[in-house]
Amino acid sequence: MDVALKIWRVDGETGERELKTYEVEAPEWACLLDVLDIIKDRHDGTLAYRKSCRMMICGSCGMRMDGRAILACKERMKPIVERGHVPVISSMGNLPIVKDLVVSMDPFWDKIRAIKPWLDPGYDEAPERERIVSQKEMNVIAKESLCIMCGCCVSECNAMEADPDFRGPAALAKEMRFVGDARDQDDVPRLNTVNDEHGVWDCTRCYFCNERCPKGVDPRDAIAKLGAESIKQGIDHDLGAKHARWFVISSKTTGWLRETELVPKTQGILGALKETKFAIALARRGKVPPPGPVHVAAEVDEARALYDLVKSQGRDGALGIVQGERGLARIEHVEAEGAHRDVPEVTPGETPPPAEG
Amino acid sequence: MKVAYYKGCLASLSAKELDSSTQALAPKLDIELDELDAVTCCGAGDIHEAEPDYYLHLNARILAYGAETGADTLMTICNVCTLNLRQANWQLKNDDELRERVNKNLQTVGVPAYDGNIEVKHFLWLIAEGDGYERLKQVAHKGLKGLKVAPFYGCQILRPSKLLGFEDPDKPHSLEAIIDACGGEAIDYPAKIKCCGFPIIQAREDTALGELLQPIEQATEAGADAMVTPCPLCHLSLDAWQSKLRERTGRDFHMPILHLSQLIGVAAGLEDSELKFKRHVVSVQPVLDKLEV
Amino acid sequence: MEATHDVLVVGAGLAGMRAAIEAHDLGADVALISKIHPVRSHSGAAEGGINAALGNASDDDPEKHAYDTVKGSDYLGDQDAIEILCNEAPGDVYQLEHWGAIFSRTEDGRIAQRPFGAAGEPRTAYAADITGHVLIHVLYEQVMKRDLRTYEEFFAWKLVIDDDRCQGVIAWDLLNGGLKTIGAKTVIIATGGAGRLYQGTTNAYACTGDGMTMALRVGVPLKDMEMMQFHPTTLSPTGVLITEGTRGEGAYLLNSEGERFLKRYAPNAMELASRDVISRAEQTEIDEGRGVDGSVLLDLRHLGAEKILERLHGTRELAMTFALVDPIHEPIPVRPGAHYHMGGIDTDVDGKTELEGLYAAGECACVSVHGANRLGGNALMETITYGKRSGAVAADWALTHTTVAVPPSVESDAQRELKTLLDRSDGERPWRIRDELAKTMHENFGVFRREKQMKEQEQIVGYLRERYESVVVEDKGEVFNNDLTQALELGFLLELADCMLVSGLARKESRGAHARPYDYPERDDENYLKHTIVRWIGGRPVLDWKPVTISKWQPEERKY
Repeated sequence: MDVALKIWRVDGETGERELKTYEVEAPEWACLLDVLDIIKDRHDGTLAYRKSCRMMICGSCGMRMDGRAILACKERMKPIVERGHVPVISSMGNLPIVKDLVVSMDPFWDKIRAIKPWLDPGYDEAPERERIVSQKEMNVIAKESLCIMCGCCVSECNAMEADPDFRGPAALAKEMRFVGDARDQDDVPRLNTVNDEHGVWDCTRCYFCNERCPKGVDPRDAIAKLGAESIKQGIDHDLGAKHARWFVISSKTTGWLRETELVPKTQGILGALKETKFAIALARRGKVPPPGPVHVAAEVDEARALYDLVKSQGRDGALGIVQGERGLARIEHVEAEGAHRDVPEVTPGETPPPAEG
Repeated sequence: MKVAYYKGCLASLSAKELDSSTQALAPKLDIELDELDAVTCCGAGDIHEAEPDYYLHLNARILAYGAETGADTLMTICNVCTLNLRQANWQLKNDDELRERVNKNLQTVGVPAYDGNIEVKHFLWLIAEGDGYERLKQVAHKGLKGLKVAPFYGCQILRPSKLLGFEDPDKPHSLEAIIDACGGEAIDYPAKIKCCGFPIIQAREDTALGELLQPIEQATEAGADAMVTPCPLCHLSLDAWQSKLRERTGRDFHMPILHLSQLIGVAAGLEDSELKFKRHVVSVQPVLDKLEV
Repeated sequence: MEATHDVLVVGAGLAGMRAAIEAHDLGADVALISKIHPVRSHSGAAEGGINAALGNASDDDPEKHAYDTVKGSDYLGDQDAIEILCNEAPGDVYQLEHWGAIFSRTEDGRIAQRPFGAAGEPRTAYAADITGHVLIHVLYEQVMKRDLRTYEEFFAWKLVIDDDRCQGVIAWDLLNGGLKTIGAKTVIIATGGAGRLYQGTTNAYACTGDGMTMALRVGVPLKDMEMMQFHPTTLSPTGVLITEGTRGEGAYLLNSEGERFLKRYAPNAMELASRDVISRAEQTEIDEGRGVDGSVLLDLRHLGAEKILERLHGTRELAMTFALVDPIHEPIPVRPGAHYHMGGIDTDVDGKTELEGLYAAGECACVSVHGANRLGGNALMETITYGKRSGAVAADWALTHTTVAVPPSVESDAQRELKTLLDRSDGERPWRIRDELAKTMHENFGVFRREKQMKEQEQIVGYLRERYESVVVEDKGEVFNNDLTQALELGFLLELADCMLVSGLARKESRGAHARPYDYPERDDENYLKHTIVRWIGGRPVLDWKPVTISKWQPEERKY
């Protein structure tokens, strides 16, 4: 079949960028990676990209197609060609570009190394045989263990775009791999590490990482698990944690979120005073309901009773986060009625990402 | 059609305009709202993180009461509620053991058991389903007179697509089609599916504002007259926090932000008392002027 | 010179990382050099499991493991090396678990073991069907813990020899450009196999036999080069691997008539017979017209969705993405593909080569643990056990010797050679040569081999080597020039192909993976119970022989 691609070429020495179009012939079973190979072999040997296994396990070929991160070896070209679409290929986001589709993974690995990415079993002399761990215990980190370190999640992370020091979905998912491992002794220090300024509470919950991950790791859920474990262990000094806890209290007392008290309860009186001007502007519009007669949900005592009942059952922390343990969540897709899949030509990503440092 | 109506926290309090415009608009679209009152906050990402098991039960309770009304559909008007309820629904429907335990707990506190027999849908989807657009053209008889509207989807009505799946999460077009059907001009821009920053706007204001800048800036530069969003939390960010964005960047943003129900509502000729535009922080007057309302 | 180290490990897959960790823990200054990031190494693609006689699933012991391995090797394996592997395997697996390797567990929380091809007892420890992935990450975690210096994306090209010793490596810095010399008292080669010689291969693009050729070119002998294992269940046309674990969990192999055809070839073991037996059976079925579009069918449907989603989710993902079938509902079309190279750099049981200061471990080495055919699950075990052993021995030697000497001419010679290659603008692009090599090797040196075809292939390879002399690298730049490194990889492959053919022609019998049913259908212990050896002399492989070490088990008829 005839395949057309546009690739954002970036010069390795000068950093100059240019959008180039390529038209090649490729077999029907070709994935994006196969097409890149054909271009590099037969048309332009200077095209730079990483590849190795071509079976979605090594994590080398992360790149963007139409502005969203994918593994080149996983994207079949036939459906794209049949739609008559010419995709735009560029390098992953949030990472410095080396050349063409090759990014420097140094910031990525620096963040991995910063979370102490090895098991701390709490002993120096290993026992003679394996430690006894149940399959159920190991399943707690089944998803985190799938991570191939490809960078697709990091590429798309909205929080990291705004805060480049955010530890990011990959490093946090890796941290959860250890926090959730029954054999790792080090939970509280680990949790303290990721409860810092650029840690779990910096996550904006955009779910891009879950959406982009080619292996079904669901890093956002791993971050939620870390948050849950942190609060369970009483690590709640962060404003984000306080904010989350206030939601719980709100729901138990009135059923609905008491926004007026959200700021003073999470940020303290001083913090609230700083926001006074802002708050007044909001209050004038009724955006911040005045303290006073509280809107209480009907039958809110049921919620309170549920809270007490559920707490007594002890499915706290990461264990409480249900992920749907069955297999690859990405492939088990919930198709709602009326889902629209064939869409007209709207191509976000045709404009190149802003030049990064 | 009759739906169980779950309005969520913001529509009850700080975004009353969303509730009033929804309640006024729905009948015009042949949607009868059976409002649930014995329900609580869905917990957002916060209770999901702080007390995950409790979050599951709160949402199961909402679903149970929704199913009790006899309706097939539980209608939401907020992205976050939609994701939370659909996530809980998916977990309960697919895991018999889990559902059994949760139901036992629900029944202990006097809530009916939930059998997985209700579907959660955002108002946006109900409008966009089937021949929704055609019906819309008739309802929105006053029209938007070519008003340039930039749609802002936000995150949690698109992602994770395995739980939402109404439309392509990277190329959604329901809002554009609605804008079109109402006689407006849909403005395209890349950040329409990115995050407004609301979940961290208090804990990490700097980061959130860095995110918020993108849709506001891009929509402004693309010449939009207004933005529309299906999520009241995004609305809060885009509207109420726009002043902070002005402060931070020194740029004079004045982008009116409309709830979806207001956008269709104003084109359908809803009353001022139903639309409640005065509750917005960024004045909607320029839009009303353009529409000669 | 960029730097010097006590121990320099070339290749950062399982064997390389395990060797580096061991050498470091014994006090040596260690560095790893890898042309791709360590976790990209092809060890990570291994799926089914790692063999050790833990005894968690049945009454097993290292002797049974050793016997199965010896028999599996068609008696070409060196039995002392095999015994060492099987004895040390359990301890080595427990070490991995202590470092945090994620294994699937039994009901009572021990490391689970599943049945695998040609194994008398279920002894393959596994992590669902992503065992290689899990192990490569646990080793890289330990590498990060020790902060081991890694020359990442450095393409090792030549070994530095001085004073009859290996003294380091010359590499092309892929990220920044330029030739860099790294001196070392000892060098451990752990660069994996050369599946890219074949069109249908389970191997990554990176598996181009670099270390084997580097050793060959400095006079180190290679052993049993004709022994290339064809994995019976690979996808067409790419060769993507579908794990033996599917058969370990009970999958069936069917021909176009829906028959479990293995009852005619291996009636006792059926789908769990040895890989070479099954590959030959499949190829026969396909050749005799009972295939489906050049493949046979791997049927998992009867295993049920639950089991597939729990233990074979990786397989399902691969089948759905690359073969467009969901194994819960449809059988997967599979055929034999080049998978594992039993042959390699000749080493002793400590990973030592003939050349002082040079060691080898893992797939690139030939101890020989696998002889003429490897059992599934033994490769991962070999990387760990022999990686560890060679790391220990190399560290020991390095810590008792002091000097490293790199003659200046070595670097300038290499620079000149590289310049000649890069300056060339008139010639052929590597892909044609590469694709022709892969296609013809697949046709003429595949599962079944014939004298006439092997001789023809020798000619073809000679012709391709000639064409390679005028190969053109289009990218003349310094930054990330993998056009250059891919051209150098082709050079490595061509020389290995030559070695394989010379060995294949010389072995006039059928043994293990070397199947000559048309001219020499029987195994000939009297004349060929010995290893082929090739040395590179005067630009050609020169053949020799080496005896097999037999300790406990005399060769028997091999039936499954």
